Amino acid sequence: MALNDSERERYRRQLPVDGWNQERLQNCKVLIVGLGGLGGISATYLAAAGVGHLRLCDSDKVELSNLNRQILYSINNIDQSKAVQARKRLAALNPEITIEALAERLTDKNAAEYAKGCDLIIDGLDNQESRILLNQISFNLKIPFIYGAVDGWQGQIGYFSPPFTPCLSCIMPEPPPSERTIPVFGALPGMVGCMQATIGLQYLMSGQTPLSGKMLIINADTFSFDTISYDRNPSCPVCGG
Amino acid sequence: MKVFLKAGGQLRTMIKPDVDHYTRLVEFDGEKTLAEILRLLPLDPAYIAFIYVESKIRDLSYKPSDGQTITLQPPVSGG
Repeated sequence: MALNDSERERYRRQLPVDGWNQERLQNCKVLIVGLGGLGGISATYLAAAGVGHLRLCDSDKVELSNLNRQILYSINNIDQSKAVQARKRLAALNPEITIEALAERLTDKNAAEYAKGCDLIIDGLDNQESRILLNQISFNLKIPFIYGAVDGWQGQIGYFSPPFTPCLSCIMPEPPPSERTIPVFGALPGMVGCMQATIGLQYLMSGQTPLSGKMLIINADTFSFDTISYDRNPSCPVCGG
Repeated sequence: MKVFLKAGGQLRTMIKPDVDHYTRLVEFDGEKTLAEILRLLPLDPAYIAFIYVESKIRDLSYKPSDGQTITLQPPVSGG
């Protein structure tokens, strides 16, 4: 689909980026699950870049304690649906794309339906149980999944596309043993969310990413980064290695 | 043999670092698996999401070499 005049001007600064394929992006559909500190940021940059169709999923309402990091919202959005408000904000940012708002919790009953037809899934979740479900859906539907997570000064980003790569459950098959309120400050999920969007755009346009089969570990307190690799787990409960 | 255990987040205080803010030196005779090294501390593996040695994730049966750094990654699940 050729760009219209408004789109050509809107994307003028990114079109010359090496390898950029705006028309390919226009034809992509991405599911973003969780619209908080991670998902709010990745959704914003995917919308700004012109990904043609975003499907936003989050059952939560905005709370005051979200506003230290969830910069898609304001004080005027307290008690309002994150999915609905995110859709409004992103539609105002880029009215050239299609944005769906699903004010629902991802469950095993609806996950396949929400992910169906998507080219990519972006993880903006805040709990490991839901990530395990998202990983299962990614495997079942063969849709790549960009994982992201934060806790204090620690961040993690991974790209999973089984059977071509190991899946998330190859390394983390079980949720953590205890429930706790996870400490988080805004700039780190901002960083991780931006990286998820960057990897996502690269994958959508080229079909590849250098993070395939690897995970980036961010230690923000020492500002050190480790890129680690891992093998498929032959005992993995999801992909079976 | 000696290895360096490195941990961040919740795990940092659990390993009782003595080399720097994040690292503990562990010395032992002969070879040991990661599971056996954790028992020396002692540290329950349930608190660890995964372990990597020289940028590769390893399971608890892995036997590190002398002088290697073993990084214990805590669960990270926020968003």
